Amino acid sequence: MGGNVLSSGDAASILFGVFFTLLVLRVPISVALGLASLPILLIEPRLSPSILMQETFNAFNSFILLAVPFFLLTANLMNVGGITDRLMTLSRTMVGHWPGALAQINVVLSIFFAGISGSSTADAASQSKIFIEAQRREGYDDSFSVAITAVSAVLAVIIPPSILMIVWGGVLTTSIGALFLAGILPGLMIGLVQMGTVHLYAKLRRYPTYPRATWGAFGVALLVSIPALMTPFIIIGGKIFGWFTATESACIAVLYAGVLSLIVYREMNLKGLYDALGETGRLAAVTLFCVGAASCFGWLLAFYRIPEAILTGVSAWGMGWVATGFFIAGVFLVVGCFLDAIPAIIIVGAILQPLALGAGLDPVHFAMIGIVSLAFGLVTPPYGLCLMIACHVAGIRVGDALKDTMLMLLPMLAVLALVILWPGMVLFIPRLISPEFLG
Amino acid sequence: MPDASAPGLLRRINLAYARFLSALLAVSVLIIVVPVSLQIFSRYTPLVPHYIWTEELARFLLVWMVMIGAMLCLKEGSHFIVDVFPVLSPKPAAVMDLVSGTFVMIFAATFFWYGIEFTEFAWFRISELAEMPLWLIHIAWPILGFTWMIFNGERMLNAVATLRGRA
Repeated sequence: MGGNVLSSGDAASILFGVFFTLLVLRVPISVALGLASLPILLIEPRLSPSILMQETFNAFNSFILLAVPFFLLTANLMNVGGITDRLMTLSRTMVGHWPGALAQINVVLSIFFAGISGSSTADAASQSKIFIEAQRREGYDDSFSVAITAVSAVLAVIIPPSILMIVWGGVLTTSIGALFLAGILPGLMIGLVQMGTVHLYAKLRRYPTYPRATWGAFGVALLVSIPALMTPFIIIGGKIFGWFTATESACIAVLYAGVLSLIVYREMNLKGLYDALGETGRLAAVTLFCVGAASCFGWLLAFYRIPEAILTGVSAWGMGWVATGFFIAGVFLVVGCFLDAIPAIIIVGAILQPLALGAGLDPVHFAMIGIVSLAFGLVTPPYGLCLMIACHVAGIRVGDALKDTMLMLLPMLAVLALVILWPGMVLFIPRLISPEFLG
Repeated sequence: MPDASAPGLLRRINLAYARFLSALLAVSVLIIVVPVSLQIFSRYTPLVPHYIWTEELARFLLVWMVMIGAMLCLKEGSHFIVDVFPVLSPKPAAVMDLVSGTFVMIFAATFFWYGIEFTEFAWFRISELAEMPLWLIHIAWPILGFTWMIFNGERMLNAVATLRGRA
């Protein structure tokens, strides 16, 4: 394009070349993204490094991204306030008598958790602490415990509410209410195939079982958990009926978890609150700092029209909607190995959107393909945050848990294929409840 | 072993500074909830006044929360990295720390230098809704640059010490 010193190709090779080189050198991802942008900002006379300041500022100065600290705080309050414990008891009375009881409870608790919090990293961090040591004591293999904790944590961003859906809806102007509803069925299906996987493992490896809980115990656990189980209905209902915006719904989740912890279950003390706040701030900050640097990186990609350059090649293949769906999933799965999901949405989602719409994919269908693929990226190395967290808690290397993680991903990939091939599954609930959200 | 050298002093300063940031971070997370709650409840009850600046204030608090947390996490070494190498023995690990530390230093210096310019640029400007002076937010950029330089400096000095064989 006219007036620039660097051609699109030069700019792309500097951006990606520096970025990947620095990643290999163990430079933090946010720093690598910022430093990859720096040479271009210095070389191009019309640009200056102050753009790095301005773009990071613009990224953080966003009402949408408030959902990140809010959902993390919700999760942390659930843990210190006794909500997680009660949901755990409930899960135990439901699936405790199945083979691999503790691992089944792990998955079921993740499903409940996913309906309240929208953050997979929070799920991985808290459930690793609960389950990995406990499963080790009952004789489960470490690699299995780590893998099932990590893969079940990804449900948190697929089952609504979800940080990824809020960011996707905000960045790519898709209805967040429709995305919330669209995530329910794929999320539950992924949860089911995970329970199936646990069953197979438990049969083959003879993992232990608890005695069957009585119906009375189940009833009591359910009754105690009802206030906590109301959360998804409050959040998703409030969003759909327009009582509050998506970000505000995350704030409501914080307030509700706070009320349950302080007034209903009364298990939170000041120390617990302080730790919950500190943990929230740290994880939210490192996540969002990456988003800020990625925004500058993405801004430069757009400045040099690099996405268009890449896409002209792909559009010429003339793929139908099925092939396009698989192509999009493939791109997000690969990108998800190297990038956090939010920067990936900002950089790659914007690139792929015209391709998806051109091939006739529904925007909500496109979003669900992207979000499910990126969620799987949370457990794929080298940059699979949930897997890294679970390994860290267990004190084993990522490589040691890799085989079981990949085995567990296979049936989940089958669900992803189903999501691509059968748009009706994704769109069924949104059409039923709020057809006005769909285009 | 008492260490009277500059790194010893730097370590103590950094430790106290990190404790301060840690407390500030917890407070900032807590108060972000306030403006957003005000915004929601003011819509449904006349008891809560309907302020126009809640949304903007929440955004500005988020900016500060992210910047404070990002400063602190450099000290704690919890910024995300992609680890492709196997576990290294102390000396090669120290070399890697020095290499990546050099790049972090360049990044920190950029934020410090251009952050000052960024703050000056906002000196006489005020925000649209709350009419707050904008430099109050922009100043987080040079502060992050400076904070990262001293935190990262300590890490790099530690790596040098390891290489010299007195870890």
